[in-house]
Amino acid sequence: MRIALVGNQNSGKTTLFNLLTGTNQKVGNWPGVTVERKVGFIRNTDYEIIDLPGIYSLSPYTLEENISRNFLFEEQVDLILNIIDATSIERSLYLTTQLLELKIPVIIALNMMDIADKRGIKFDLGTLEKRLDTTILPISALKKTNVFNLIQTIKQGDYRRNLYQHIYDHDLENTISQLEERVDTKHSRFLAVKMIERDPLFISHATEETDFIIDELEKKYFRDLEQIVADERYRYIELIRDEAVEAKRDMMTTTDRLDQIFLNRYLAIPIFMVIMFGIYYLAAGPIGSWTVDMVGTGVEFVSEWMTTFLTNVNASPWSISLVVDGMIAGVGAILNFLPQLIILFLLISILETTGYMARISFFLDRVFQKVGLSGKSLIPFIIGSGCSVPAIMSARTINDETEKKMTIMLTPFIPCSAKLPIITLFAGYFFGDRSGFVSASLYFLAIFIILLSAYVMKNVLFKGKTSSFILELPEYKLPSLRYIIYDVFSKAWAFIVRAGSVILVASIIIWFLLSFDFRMTYGIAVDDSMLAWFGKLISWIFYPMLGEMSWAASISAIQGLVAKEQVVGSMAIIAGYTSDVSEARLIFTSGIFGFFTASSAYAFMVFNLFSAPCFGAIGAMRQELGTTKRMWKAVLFQTGLAWVLAVLVFQIGRLIEVIL
Amino acid sequence: MKISTKLKKGDHLALSKLKKGCRAKVISIHTIDKALRRRLLDMGITEGVQVKLKKIAPLGDPIDIELRGYELCLRKADLDLIEVEVIS
Repeated sequence: MRIALVGNQNSGKTTLFNLLTGTNQKVGNWPGVTVERKVGFIRNTDYEIIDLPGIYSLSPYTLEENISRNFLFEEQVDLILNIIDATSIERSLYLTTQLLELKIPVIIALNMMDIADKRGIKFDLGTLEKRLDTTILPISALKKTNVFNLIQTIKQGDYRRNLYQHIYDHDLENTISQLEERVDTKHSRFLAVKMIERDPLFISHATEETDFIIDELEKKYFRDLEQIVADERYRYIELIRDEAVEAKRDMMTTTDRLDQIFLNRYLAIPIFMVIMFGIYYLAAGPIGSWTVDMVGTGVEFVSEWMTTFLTNVNASPWSISLVVDGMIAGVGAILNFLPQLIILFLLISILETTGYMARISFFLDRVFQKVGLSGKSLIPFIIGSGCSVPAIMSARTINDETEKKMTIMLTPFIPCSAKLPIITLFAGYFFGDRSGFVSASLYFLAIFIILLSAYVMKNVLFKGKTSSFILELPEYKLPSLRYIIYDVFSKAWAFIVRAGSVILVASIIIWFLLSFDFRMTYGIAVDDSMLAWFGKLISWIFYPMLGEMSWAASISAIQGLVAKEQVVGSMAIIAGYTSDVSEARLIFTSGIFGFFTASSAYAFMVFNLFSAPCFGAIGAMRQELGTTKRMWKAVLFQTGLAWVLAVLVFQIGRLIEVIL
Repeated sequence: MKISTKLKKGDHLALSKLKKGCRAKVISIHTIDKALRRRLLDMGITEGVQVKLKKIAPLGDPIDIELRGYELCLRKADLDLIEVEVIS
């Protein structure tokens, strides 16, 4: 048995999917959280359930709708589980009327009944079931109400089979029956309607005869048939609504009251700035730094203990060095930053689930529209401060192709959580008390560069294009504590796993290249090591932003491709090797990185922030941009811009230092 | 002569010109772009539907309208092409 889970964006589909399957897929409170279909099995059964992206219609114009309708039309689906937001039933039923035409059994899960109850919306379920000829179950996925009944109903096959459907007026229904007789498919009614709408994707089914029938119909109405079909669907829904739904009108909801503050003409933007500044200040500022010191002390302790232990068991010097200077130094330098990442993940998770994200898109659209982006670009940018990979994927919800491509190319500019270690390390050491402001300044610089790049791209590459913006404003919701804990934990765990796998392997390789020369002799001066040799090949590239031919800084920056935090890992290993330094904070007291000044530190941060993201994010860009050529263009653009910015920062900074 | 800018019941105008809190009925959709037109229809903006201008973004654009029991944000440029009749 194969079940397709279909519903509008933000109708709680993924929450229900997680409940039914017992998995934990990402949920959020903005339209378009699920951008790909996900497959699972209903708990303790072999019923396969597919979570399709949220859609409003089965029209041919957007990617998500095409994924969904191709799936429903072409693959064997035994049951459609149509989830409906009970608080906006009219718009939700519009999709239902289209699903019913597929002649696949449909069960309607009437979700968010708890909120509907509170708002005094009442349903006559008997009439609704009769009118739609489907089984309807009121549930609340968030409160887990009645979900068990839903599973039972599916298991027992105890639902209506929706065989009879007449929702259009006489002429339209007549034409549909005529066409149905002339097409050969199991979804004949669906196809007939699509042909009437003159859907370009079903044009191959048309014959001279069917064209003639449709032309005749068009003459009768004298209007665009696509509009007639939509009008008729809504007319039928209004009929059902009048019969079976009772709602109080014009109630002032909590959401309205909150919006009077958050969308206030004068307060909205200051509030937004304070929230964003607060998030980054907490994560990258004093509190974050304090946690880094805490863990740093722990790592130092482990490192010392391990040295003593290995010396006592008579381990060879090179193996002690491998464990202490390679593995512990590299992985430890990264784990230092775990607590502050947890702070960041927690704050972003709260932001995502409350419904505030959609508001940000709404009120900043004007600004972003000016530079050729969409208000919806804000969502990838904010998610991007966690990780660029899901951020790049979330750009799919942007309606316009150009805006989407630009957003994908610009999202990696936002400092992701893996760049946070670099920022904290440099800002903490070189800017002391002002480290919080310096960190925040980098985020604002990133936003400024994004707006500027977009503006230039718009005026050079995509001149004279207009686009539209359609967004549904969701209700505010209190975040679910259970989900937030899960979300933060899984992100933190992913970071730990990466430290224990990718970073560990990279650390061992770095240690190896640093400990040996090309003749494989151990115990050489670092300057003669293989790593130094590789670093010297590229150090001229970094000279204009560092003011020093530093192979160590150059080779570390390159490793950002593996994972951005590896830059810090690599620096820690190299510093620890050359002097007795085991704590990340003390990297700059070692001779090899002693040349850094405030301006070269800021320049180096800027380079690492804006240059090509890690391989994971590059892969995501490749997938979402569609071609390898576009991916290369994006990577070269990012790295080139990063170099220019970093050089500018260093040269200007040096001037200021001289003047002061 | 003083020209009153106050909207009267029965006035025909673009949806983007509606005042905050006003209700109106959609008369016709002049959108040319096929994809956008279909999207508007899908979201429930059909002829005859009642809309209410609910919120205006702090920077004046986009605009949030309420229809069919939910809220939808659209840019002014797109609302320019939707003709409505004022109800109240």
